[in-house]
Amino acid sequence: MSVIEQLVSGLGMPNFVILIPEIVLLITAFTVFILELITKNRKVISAVSILGLLGSGLFILVVVLGILKLILSPITLKEASQNVFYSFILNNFLENFVTLYGLYVVDLFALVFKLFLIVGTIFVLIHLRPYVESKKSYYGEYYYLILFSLVGMFIMVSSPNLISFYIGLELMSIALYVLIGLYRRDYKSKEGAYKYLIIGGTGTAIVSYAIALLYGRTGTFDFKEIAKTLIISDNLDVGLIGGLVLLLIGLALKASAVPFHHWAPDAYEGATTPVTAFLAVPAKIATYAIILRIVVEAFPSVTETWGLAWALFAAASMILGNFVALRQKNVKRMLAYSSIAHTGYITAALAAPTGMGFAALAFYSIVYLFMGAGAFLLLSSLEKNEGWSNSLDDFKGLAKREPASALIMLVFMFSLLGIPPTVGFIGKLGVFLALIGYEVWWLAIVLVITSIVSAGYYIKVVANMYMYEPTVKNRLNISLTEKLSLGILAVIVLILGVYPTQIWTLTTTISSLLMAGVGR
Amino acid sequence: MSVEFVKADVPWITITILLPLIAAVVLMFLKDRFAKPISIAISAVIFIISSYMLLVYDPSSYKIQFYEKYEWIPWLGVSYEVGVDALSLTLYWLTALSFLVAFIWSTNINKRIKEYFIAFLVLEAGSLGVFVAWDLVFFYIFWEAILIPMFLIIGVWGYAERIYAATKFFIYTFFGSLFLLIGVIGLYVASYFQTGELSTSYFSLINTQLPFTLELIFFLLLALGFAIKVPMWPFHTWLPDAHVQAPTAGSVILAAVLLKMGTYGFVRFSLPWFPEASKYFVPVMFTLGVIAIIYTAMMAIAQTHIKRLIAYSSVSHMGFVTIGTFALNDFGVNGAIITMISHGLTSAALFLAAGFIYERTHTYEMGKLGGMARFVPIFAVLFMISAMASVGLPGLSGFVGEFLSLLGTFQVSILTATLAGLSLILGAAYTLWLYRKTMFEEELLDEERLHKWKQLKDVSTSEFLSFLPLVIFMFVIGIYPSWWVNLIQKTTEAILFKIRLLGG
Repeated sequence: MSVIEQLVSGLGMPNFVILIPEIVLLITAFTVFILELITKNRKVISAVSILGLLGSGLFILVVVLGILKLILSPITLKEASQNVFYSFILNNFLENFVTLYGLYVVDLFALVFKLFLIVGTIFVLIHLRPYVESKKSYYGEYYYLILFSLVGMFIMVSSPNLISFYIGLELMSIALYVLIGLYRRDYKSKEGAYKYLIIGGTGTAIVSYAIALLYGRTGTFDFKEIAKTLIISDNLDVGLIGGLVLLLIGLALKASAVPFHHWAPDAYEGATTPVTAFLAVPAKIATYAIILRIVVEAFPSVTETWGLAWALFAAASMILGNFVALRQKNVKRMLAYSSIAHTGYITAALAAPTGMGFAALAFYSIVYLFMGAGAFLLLSSLEKNEGWSNSLDDFKGLAKREPASALIMLVFMFSLLGIPPTVGFIGKLGVFLALIGYEVWWLAIVLVITSIVSAGYYIKVVANMYMYEPTVKNRLNISLTEKLSLGILAVIVLILGVYPTQIWTLTTTISSLLMAGVGR
Repeated sequence: MSVEFVKADVPWITITILLPLIAAVVLMFLKDRFAKPISIAISAVIFIISSYMLLVYDPSSYKIQFYEKYEWIPWLGVSYEVGVDALSLTLYWLTALSFLVAFIWSTNINKRIKEYFIAFLVLEAGSLGVFVAWDLVFFYIFWEAILIPMFLIIGVWGYAERIYAATKFFIYTFFGSLFLLIGVIGLYVASYFQTGELSTSYFSLINTQLPFTLELIFFLLLALGFAIKVPMWPFHTWLPDAHVQAPTAGSVILAAVLLKMGTYGFVRFSLPWFPEASKYFVPVMFTLGVIAIIYTAMMAIAQTHIKRLIAYSSVSHMGFVTIGTFALNDFGVNGAIITMISHGLTSAALFLAAGFIYERTHTYEMGKLGGMARFVPIFAVLFMISAMASVGLPGLSGFVGEFLSLLGTFQVSILTATLAGLSLILGAAYTLWLYRKTMFEEELLDEERLHKWKQLKDVSTSEFLSFLPLVIFMFVIGIYPSWWVNLIQKTTEAILFKIRLLGG
């Protein structure tokens, strides 16, 4: 008998039902891979990828709604088990949601993040084909690499275990290295990819060393088991501290937190802009998610220290990101630094290791999806036009040349700045509430002051768009699909800004479920 | 202290906030020529609704009237909660009036007409919201949301240095409001620790018992946000730039509505929430107020640019509101509230006058003007009434507010009252100077200007209609102030309730 057969006979078949989203994605990725060999029809490839994402996403959406219904409304277990749909949810997602022999967990936390990762990726794919075609740099590889990278993120947010976390991280990163470099005849793309490869590779090496040290100290890879071992023995030795510090550095590097951010601006600037959006938003959100899971599940006993470390990273990211962004003349690079600053705002919530703090982190990272991706994708639509180089001068008079795009950009800029009635404000409000509730006044003040600094560059973009005369008069070419997708993102940013209730409920629920460790 | 609520039969307030927003969205899809009529119609409806509310408001006891409340984020205790007491209502009414005036005035907009009106409509929704929101998150949302349209109004439709002025305006106010936000959240958290109940409602937060040091800190955080908006000396430097660069209607709204938000904040939040801290900071506020009154009045005298002069005069008048508020007695607070309304009317009218002059002569420099009175007689009369109301001539609105403020202050600090009172002379000096330099001294005119002035057109119908309500209400308040004082009396008592309890 092979090892697998022994496992199956000993422990039973793993629950594959809960892996359906991942399976759908993988099938799509391989289908695209093969399709790309036999057909040259780009629309088909794009459509198949998006359909696969939609299918996977719809499945997750239905499951998430079902779970929420079961958790939040007074349906008794008996009633639920009589209903086919509810009993399906109950059996698969509320009871047997750890699968693959404890290496994979599909709880509400993972599902919610997966849902939003898919949403982000769909928007990226919508903008990808027009962009790369206009740059004469089309490769079918973009599609399946993005899908593989997404599967990596899925594995990462679903990992209850250092090993599956590592596999997910690697799958995500390796696909990303190639994606960044996939830009024909562009020196910056190669530079960015190479930098990310070297620094990201170092990061994964650091993470693997951290895993080795933690395993050596605790004798287990499982987050919950690590937590138990740590609670039983309270002496902190070199192995544990070393492992923790290295893990922290590795994660900070992937989240591009200062001082481990050096790869980010170059990689962001070098990549094709939709890939930048993918790199800056879904990839980062997945990283925040796993950071959150690790801190809550593996190290509940050291959240204070962990929180302090993240507070320092966050403060450094906010200060450096915002001040450097102030000096940028290129809007894409400016947004790259703004993304570093947002890493600061989001991880600042970890300084308050409470339910509120975790909910704020989840909320901000989810809503950052819409504004962050929106801003980068708008750049990608503009960049398709001849002579557009993303410099601030290019933005002069955009409101006259392209009123709709200018209005959408205005919404994203004010949202990133955190002005109501956009959702960026609610995100910052959550972080403020968490920080002040935990009395981390100094970080709240840093957040405030750096936010004021950030006004300097965000409103510079708005001023350039609305208050100057255009230097070039020709009309810009942005297709209706692109405008629609950007318009949807902007409307979501506004709607969530005045009605964030549902997302708040969702993030509060996942943060409290995660903290309670329900079912695990 | 428990507060009574009178639920609204018809959600008037929500309607007035939503109407301009809906109109703004509709306008996006319409042609330019529809923009003005729709905006005027919408703001007229809002003004009528607000006037109706002003008339039906029952001032006999302190109740929050036209009250509406809906849950918003139950997890954080945030709800949409609006309603008015007399303080809210008067400023709400003033806002509605100012926007009506601004819309009627806006004829000579020649670029991006549609966007101009959309920006003003969004601004109107936000401004109305600030004065009626009782939930602090909503208050803050409205408070901040107005930055966006105002930033665009100054920056797009302003004069030469508009981008600098718009950026300065934005960053200054954003700076202040973030500290305000921290203060409010701090209070919210403190109240949660005390009562175990999450709520951002004004009426829950007011019951928080704070230790004295915390009260001082929160007071200062909030005061920073409000002081920049008022603006109080030394945070006033954004105001002259913003006023000078803003288009006329923008200046009107800035002076009549936006500045009131700061003083509204002091009266509404600082006094009832932080009674001990308010008492503690009286000397500081008096000092800043007196400096604002005297220093900016002297600055005003030194100006040659009409709008800059009026801007400095605004800061000076706001000084009276500050000292009136921090006199912490009935006279003072009543005076402060009436000064707010009166200043809204007079400064709006003065900025209209400045706009009128600019549209006719294309200059704001007083040295290039003069002797216009004979050629534009109706305008000269309207301008004169506004100027006199601003100076504080008895019988017009300015006198009532400033007199009550000074009366209130006199009971607390004779020195402050004396200094502030003496500076009324400075106020008269710069306003009369302004009037003389633009309207009189016909004998000093050279041939060229005399020739130009002869072709000047007097006020057009729409300009006259903009001036008219302002002038009427200057007289109404000036001649029959007791109606207004009666209206706000109970509210003032409610605001000072906690401070009274402290005694002394």
